[in-house]
Amino acid sequence: MDLSELERDNTGRCRLNSPVPAVCLKEPCVLGVDEAGRGPVLGPMVYAICYCPLSRLADLEALKVADSKTLSESERDRLFAKMEEDGDFVGWALDVLSPNLISTSMLGRVKYNLNSLSHDTATGLVQYALDQGVKVAQVFVDTVGLPETYQERLQQRFPDIEVTVKAKADALYPVVSAASICAKVARDQAVRNWQFVEKLQDLDTDYGSGYPNDPKTKAWLRKHVDPVFGFPQFVRFSWRTAQSILEKEAEDVTWEFLDQGSDPSHSCNLCRNCSNARSFNPLCQLGIKPVPWSCRDTTNPLVPQQELPDKLFYFTVLEVGSPRPGY
Amino acid sequence: MESSDEESVHRRRVHLRPFTLRSPAPVTLHLLPCEVPVSRPAPVGRFFTPAIRQGPYGLEASFRGRSLRGEEVAVPPGLVGYVMTEEQGEVSVGKQDFSEGSEEDHEVMESPETLERDFDRFIGATASFSSFTLWGLETIPGPDSKVRGALTWPSLAAAIHAQVPED
Repeated sequence: MDLSELERDNTGRCRLNSPVPAVCLKEPCVLGVDEAGRGPVLGPMVYAICYCPLSRLADLEALKVADSKTLSESERDRLFAKMEEDGDFVGWALDVLSPNLISTSMLGRVKYNLNSLSHDTATGLVQYALDQGVKVAQVFVDTVGLPETYQERLQQRFPDIEVTVKAKADALYPVVSAASICAKVARDQAVRNWQFVEKLQDLDTDYGSGYPNDPKTKAWLRKHVDPVFGFPQFVRFSWRTAQSILEKEAEDVTWEFLDQGSDPSHSCNLCRNCSNARSFNPLCQLGIKPVPWSCRDTTNPLVPQQELPDKLFYFTVLEVGSPRPGY
Repeated sequence: MESSDEESVHRRRVHLRPFTLRSPAPVTLHLLPCEVPVSRPAPVGRFFTPAIRQGPYGLEASFRGRSLRGEEVAVPPGLVGYVMTEEQGEVSVGKQDFSEGSEEDHEVMESPETLERDFDRFIGATASFSSFTLWGLETIPGPDSKVRGALTWPSLAAAIHAQVPED
């Protein structure tokens, strides 16, 4: 599978697809949706659709596709190669969601949980097939969350398509099995050839299965913690396993989630005469670190009368040519 | 000024090393919308910089799994940015750091009312900058951001303190 587009940039999402078989533009098609890599704390989650004309479903079944989890890696690779050979009637498309995209979605100010992300990605892929001109008549989906509500959502979105959402659909419907194979092959290859965006030293690529309960994966996580940046983007920061390692082995980070304008503890400590300037001085609204030689103001209780911390990097702006020698 | 405050000022002064301002090397700086309440080196060049992308609405990056959007902010004309660090360890007046000081400085030191005492603290510029990357959580900080507002302050201050010619 050619994942070079993903390897060029794996910080966001990446859509890949086979050519659309000509017959799928004319005949009513059946389309399966499945995903791979939902649980792991490492690497991307891959969504896949696979489709073929209803009239050729028996030919797809004849390939003996099965739930990707019941197949070995070599069997999956072999079956995917066969589907490629049958490109005259089988088509597929993928959406690779990078771990960075998963982290930033789930940790967003407005939380975007994995179920919603999954539903929207699946919906997007079905729409993508329609946009490419595939005559989708039936859709089978392996469920994420409650199948009833998921089916209702999809059915509403695609009223002209017969939608079936079921648990274990990847074992029940060959077209979903085929999608699960596409997804799994892509996920395995993406993880195996992951191009780390970071310039890491002593990178160990033996990360185990990527599942949080795998001791190898846990050891890999612990080995690759950076006290400031946490993990490489290959890791899903939103996973509890990742977060609990960070809590123990990395520095705390506090975010400016709220507007600090009304919080006196963040009042000005940089300007010379804050006492009556607070109402309009924009510096007052900044959480700039104290620079005590210029902001002692005992008349204003809002100005912290802080001692200079022992270690501190000052980040300041001075006027050119007037550094007041000797202070 | 209250006497107690005056006392504490006299106890400890912070001095700026003027010679450090002459030619500090330029650096690349990122101002993040979060605080890491420690001061330590961080592998910015290995973890952060290589992951910056130019997106349709500005620079894109992430930190600790959170999405950042950034933009370049220039230091206003007539000003220069310095990265200031405090001298560490036992700094005694008149030693290495003062070797680059001017003759005048030595004279000041030798007077009984010396400005710099050996228990004072000293800061100096280790780098300079004429612009930096300002990052916002999920959105570009934009013209209304606090930092941009702060940077308009010097010119505003100059304007409001300028002599108004009498008519």
